[in-house]
Amino acid sequence: MNYYRITVAFIFIIALALGAFVYPIPFGKFVDIPQVDFKLGLDLQGGTQLVYQADLSDVDEIEYEDRMNGLRDLIERRVNYFGVSEPLVQVKGDRLVVELAGVVDPVEAIKMIGETPFLEFRELSGEEDITPEILSIVEEKNKVALEKAESVFQTILDGADFAETAKEYSDDPASAQDGGSLGSFKKGDMVTEFDEAVFSLSAGEIADSIVETDFGYHIIKKDEDENEDGEIVASHILIRKTYPQEYLSEWKRTELSGEHLKTARYFFDQNTRDVIIELEFTSEGGAIFESITERNVNKPLAVFLDGKSIVDTTGDGEITEDDLYAPIIQEKISGGKAIITGESDIESVRQIVTRLRSGALPVPIDLLTYQNVGPTMGMESLNKSLSAGFWGFLAIVLFMIAFYRLPGLLAVISLVCYTIFVLVIFKLLPVTLTLSGIAGFILSIGMAIDANILVFSRMKEELDGGKNLKDSIDNGFERAWPSIRDGNFTTLIVAFILFFIGTSFVQGFAFTLIIGILMSLFAALVITKSLLKIFEGTRLEKINWLWKKK
Amino acid sequence: MALEKEIMNFIKHKRIYYAISSILILASLVSLAFLGVNFGIEFTGGSMMEIEYSENVPSVSELRGVLNNAGLSDAIIQSAGENGFVLRMPDISQEKYIELRGLLVGSTENYFESIGPTIGDELKDKSAISIIIASLAIILYIALTFRDAGDRKVKSWQYGMVAAGVGFFHDVLIVLGAFSIMGYLYGIQFTVPIAVALLTVLGYSINDTVVVFDRIRENIAKNPRLLFPDIVNKSLNETLERSINTSATTLFVLIAIFILGGETIRWFVFAMILGISVGTYSSIFIAGPLLVTWFNNKK
Repeated sequence: MNYYRITVAFIFIIALALGAFVYPIPFGKFVDIPQVDFKLGLDLQGGTQLVYQADLSDVDEIEYEDRMNGLRDLIERRVNYFGVSEPLVQVKGDRLVVELAGVVDPVEAIKMIGETPFLEFRELSGEEDITPEILSIVEEKNKVALEKAESVFQTILDGADFAETAKEYSDDPASAQDGGSLGSFKKGDMVTEFDEAVFSLSAGEIADSIVETDFGYHIIKKDEDENEDGEIVASHILIRKTYPQEYLSEWKRTELSGEHLKTARYFFDQNTRDVIIELEFTSEGGAIFESITERNVNKPLAVFLDGKSIVDTTGDGEITEDDLYAPIIQEKISGGKAIITGESDIESVRQIVTRLRSGALPVPIDLLTYQNVGPTMGMESLNKSLSAGFWGFLAIVLFMIAFYRLPGLLAVISLVCYTIFVLVIFKLLPVTLTLSGIAGFILSIGMAIDANILVFSRMKEELDGGKNLKDSIDNGFERAWPSIRDGNFTTLIVAFILFFIGTSFVQGFAFTLIIGILMSLFAALVITKSLLKIFEGTRLEKINWLWKKK
Repeated sequence: MALEKEIMNFIKHKRIYYAISSILILASLVSLAFLGVNFGIEFTGGSMMEIEYSENVPSVSELRGVLNNAGLSDAIIQSAGENGFVLRMPDISQEKYIELRGLLVGSTENYFESIGPTIGDELKDKSAISIIIASLAIILYIALTFRDAGDRKVKSWQYGMVAAGVGFFHDVLIVLGAFSIMGYLYGIQFTVPIAVALLTVLGYSINDTVVVFDRIRENIAKNPRLLFPDIVNKSLNETLERSINTSATTLFVLIAIFILGGETIRWFVFAMILGISVGTYSSIFIAGPLLVTWFNNKK
């Protein structure tokens, strides 16, 4: 009997601790509880699910898995740009499942994911890339800048405060804060045009015309004359000029793109054991590649996929503007084959090769099914189901206590522990909770109650037959066991079949049902039994009303 | 023969129960044959969109015009709530979807689902396969666990056959029939969740029946001199309270969800409520008496 008291005490302590973990709000004030949230499915938190069918008709069967993984990698890259938390991209046979949680513009997502991957090789831009169009844009911009400078100058001439005007208009952010002040400097510290203008002024004087330098248009004021070191103090208002280089991106496209790449692979150098990436171009690609390498010897050639670096090179786990994969071209390469050496990290080599391939031989994908759940709709269903679950639970509590009295109360306590344990499993595994999963859980509560009811009715028969509490409990559990076992097992069979055959909706239901059934067996056979056993030989045993004994 | 006092005789009136169930099964079969099942888009393929307007709510005919412009003249438009609509269309391509979202100016999309026809066929196959495998697995399991309960008269596999047969041809069929009629009358669709509910009902109903059969098995061992019909009747009486209480507690939760839960799972829950009620009825009034009937007709 002592053994059962210890068991019950132990279960209560664990249930209390885990209860605090499941629902930390009232306990969080006193102890530090690790914060783990329930993982909600798309139907509850809102989000988008897209299922794509890949067209593998042109692909060798042995390559299926490789190509699908390449496709997943590619889509994962794109999906990461959306900034949703934990996007999910899964390969299922020849299908690809993409799940984006939270608020996503579905139209944007569809457009972006469905695009054919674009692999391209880019070279550095040079002066020769400044086109007449760029020049005319720059000229127009600078005309506007000059007009602006003139109008600012006019307000100064009209008596506006220099410092205030500098704060408002100057494009030199460092000095603008100090009212345009550049601090003290010597002759020769500034560019020639500026120097000449400022040193011809005397303190407090403003230059009588706008001074143009490489930086832009300056309105200059001398604040203090030379000291013994020859330093002066002056202020300026700068209106910036625009340069043609600003309209050149650092990397410009070449004619070479994914369609010119025949294949990519990697191998280990037999002597040095270095990893080597080998590219093979089509005959047209080989010719283009030759001319690119010819004009870029000793310069880098960058590889871009979907407009971003092909791999993460900064090692921060995401691909941003800072990442760049650009091997240096050693010499002019003819013949359409090239190797890249010097990459030591095998993982990133694999990634590069996979991505080169998916850029070279894109697998066409077709949107098969698409589902989008607005966030409010999901939350509404969740809250409604939870409150429904609460009222249903309350009804069970009242019914069990009214019908079975003390054992009913014990069953309710066991059921509360059961609920806590199941929810902890949901949090820790974690189980992604969907509406169907919640339905499965609720059904398993019914199953959990059933085991108790089976035991109680057997127990009562034994009690009515004149046995004492101990024997009645033992016999009750023993007699009820085949029914509990068979009932739960048949439901488990159905649940497992659903889990292995069903769609994700069905799987969610089956999975929570399986967890619920297994845990319900524990609740009935261990928790309820221990709770009942505590009353063996106590005074309460003698009160027939409590046990509904005739 | 010493039957205890105040017990119900389930065997005596078995013809009445058979008649009731036969009518229900027949009605289901007729409805399934003539009205069919109103399959949801998961099974048939198609698209469904739920949209809501915060202001400038268009009328149904204005919306119809927009859809006609997009070439979706066979779309079905239903109002949902004050500012919302449900649009049901054939399976639309992603280009068409993007075009449509552009045309529905000022609306927020609460839900959208589009399912290609291949998926629908796959799902139908999958559902049928899972129901068949589940039934077979259950018959096998019961036959195995009841192997010691079989005697010259009632073989162990017969328990399995009756339990699974009643679950499948009685409970599942009647729920299916109910959805066929409701689909015809109220346009309620037979969706994947409802297929799941059917399978759950199958498991639940067999569970109920197995509890009764377990008692029969036990009573055969305890009362070797009692006649089989009396054993069945005694067992039914002994398990009656448990059957009703268990179903009642499960129904409490389900009914709470049906009333308070969201629209999304309402019909799923309804299918479970109906199935569990029918399953409880059949485990008491049909399964036991069927064993007796089968046993009596065999000499």
